[in-house]
Amino acid sequence: MKMMAIIRREYLERVKSKGFVISTVLIPFLMSLTIVIPMLSADKVDEHHDVAVVDPDGLWTPALELILDERYGGTVDLMPILLSGRPLAEGVEDLRDMVSKEIVDGGIVFDADFIETRRLRFYVKSVAAGLASETLRPAIDSMLRSARFSEAGIPDSLGTYLMTSSRWERLTVSEDGAATARDERAIMGMAFTLIMMLYMMVLMYGQQTLVGVIDEKTSRVVEVMLSSVPSWQLMMGKILGIGGAGLTQILIWTISLSIASTRGIDIAGISIDASVLSPLILVSFLMFFVLGFLLFSALYAGVGALCNSIQEAQPFATPLMMFIIIPMLMLTVVMKQPDAPFAVIMSLIPMFTPILMFMRVIMDTPPLWQIVLSWVLMALTIVVFARGAGKLFRVGILMHGAAPSWKTLIKVLKQPD
Amino acid sequence: MNDLPSPSGSVPILEIRGLRKSYGNVHAVRDVSLSIPRGGIYGFLGPNGAGKTTTLRSIMNIIVPDGGSILFDGQPLTRDRLDLIGYLPEERGLYRKMTCLDQLTFLAQLKSMPKAAAREQGVAWLERLDLHDWKDRKVDALSKGMQQKVQLASTFLFSPDLVILDEPFSGLDPLNVEALRDIIREENARGCTIIFSTHMLAEAEKLCDSICLIEGGEVVLNGRLETVRDHFPQNSIRAAFADGRAIPDDLAGITRCDWDEGAWRLTIEPGSDPQSILDALRAAGPVSLFSARRPSLDEIFLTAVRQRRASAKEVTS
Repeated sequence: MKMMAIIRREYLERVKSKGFVISTVLIPFLMSLTIVIPMLSADKVDEHHDVAVVDPDGLWTPALELILDERYGGTVDLMPILLSGRPLAEGVEDLRDMVSKEIVDGGIVFDADFIETRRLRFYVKSVAAGLASETLRPAIDSMLRSARFSEAGIPDSLGTYLMTSSRWERLTVSEDGAATARDERAIMGMAFTLIMMLYMMVLMYGQQTLVGVIDEKTSRVVEVMLSSVPSWQLMMGKILGIGGAGLTQILIWTISLSIASTRGIDIAGISIDASVLSPLILVSFLMFFVLGFLLFSALYAGVGALCNSIQEAQPFATPLMMFIIIPMLMLTVVMKQPDAPFAVIMSLIPMFTPILMFMRVIMDTPPLWQIVLSWVLMALTIVVFARGAGKLFRVGILMHGAAPSWKTLIKVLKQPD
Repeated sequence: MNDLPSPSGSVPILEIRGLRKSYGNVHAVRDVSLSIPRGGIYGFLGPNGAGKTTTLRSIMNIIVPDGGSILFDGQPLTRDRLDLIGYLPEERGLYRKMTCLDQLTFLAQLKSMPKAAAREQGVAWLERLDLHDWKDRKVDALSKGMQQKVQLASTFLFSPDLVILDEPFSGLDPLNVEALRDIIREENARGCTIIFSTHMLAEAEKLCDSICLIEGGEVVLNGRLETVRDHFPQNSIRAAFADGRAIPDDLAGITRCDWDEGAWRLTIEPGSDPQSILDALRAAGPVSLFSARRPSLDEIFLTAVRQRRASAKEVTS
């Protein structure tokens, strides 16, 4: 009951604050700006490219023009440099001159006998974004292939038939043998949304827990509080109260986003389509998010318990981000072999669970007991951390100046509540 | 150490046995044993750094002592029984963003008081302290004196059996000191036992019926104020002659003689009789003032501390 009063107080103090209202409105606004601004500026970038061409065989320019027009609809214009009997070197010099004076965005010099040598030189002044790799190279490759097909006497239709790639439909087989199609992209999108949300919320609200705990000391309420409730209840109350405020904010965003998307408002391409996700994935998402968030809050509370000011806490708080970054780095390994012992063990380490276990659930659902075990481990860790933070808090308030030694800290952690 | 008998009869409300606490090499509390009678006003006295706050924090389970035990009403003081004790720490503070009434309600809830009752009592206490108009204002908006009053209210609000006040008078103006004294007396009359620590001994003298003097983490003396006083003999006399003449230099049984606020203060040699001194003074001239003074707490404290330090030296040498 006492803990409820603390949770309530911490929750209301935050939800009622101006900062909460402002950030609830402002953050989605800023986030949408980060999506909209690149889109707006992308429109304004000059998509048109001029490319000079030196073509000693005189064979390639018309064919390339045709393919480029077909594929990119006139966004790339070729400017042939005619040799008219001059030596090749002079033509190349002209081309380099045009590139360096920025008359053209790039220049291509085909080798004589390009069909055999496959060699060409591409000149640019600066590394023109995507021009070579995304536009010219595929076009020239395909042109070269067609030329070789026709040289070998293979008709166009057969050439197209031969130049093909496979088309895939992915189906997931569940326990009862039913096969369902799954949208890989939507699922991976969901995974990265979780990771980003967790990262963001930990940054925002983890810090708030830290500040909240330190504030207890600077406002000197701490002695009255500790004379009324055990310190771990105070910590747990703070973690849950502040966490509740964070979850409320997320809930507000989620609800407004889903209302917006059901009304057909497509906010910068984001819409919530839960139908691609199985109930297990949805439940996991919620559990991993809530537990992960509280776990990190508890860690931050522990740091706050030991420090007397935000400045003092900063160097200790930053390394905590490692617990998010490390599992991110392990993601690729886990994605390759979600059931390998390494992945199983790593995903059961409570700090790594939210990211790694969720990825495993998405990739190749592990046995239910592993998922439930990871939840239990996380919940236990939260309680253990809150208890530890509470004990540290009790020493922390009575420390003035000198930091405690590791020996003292261990002694404190062993004390009863 | 002056061990004085504590009042016999009922079970003491609080009993401390062999309390020890050190911070690194500093022994804040060495071996404190105390027995605090129910229903009284108990002064916990000593200079700064004597170990008062450490002892009080140990009682409130804010710090864990290195050794010793604490009994409340004859039984070990458990967490849930702390709900029967109000505590005003020396370092005061409230949640700044909360309104006065919310604050009082919240703090009383933490002492297991139901919310509705806590709110009702909160309003009553704010009225009692002339803060009713401020009940919906945030603590931030209050003056420091008002904040202290709100905190005081939170200490008594839930009708505790025992209230511990750590240096309650520090930082208060004379008007508020008077108001606080009244509240302490009223709450004590209601049946609440009060322990307060102070280094201002004159304040303790006005309020306490029992005291404990602590110095260097040890109890120097402990008992009912009257008993403590009786234990220390009347050791000084105020005297004056009608014609304003000086006290003769060769007066027997006197160790010191100081002019103090319009009269002479004579310090008596231990063992000499005030009556014989009066006789000697009358022989010297017309006596207009002669009163044997009871020792003040200040004097008792200084004497006790000196005795303790002298005996400690003897032991070490």
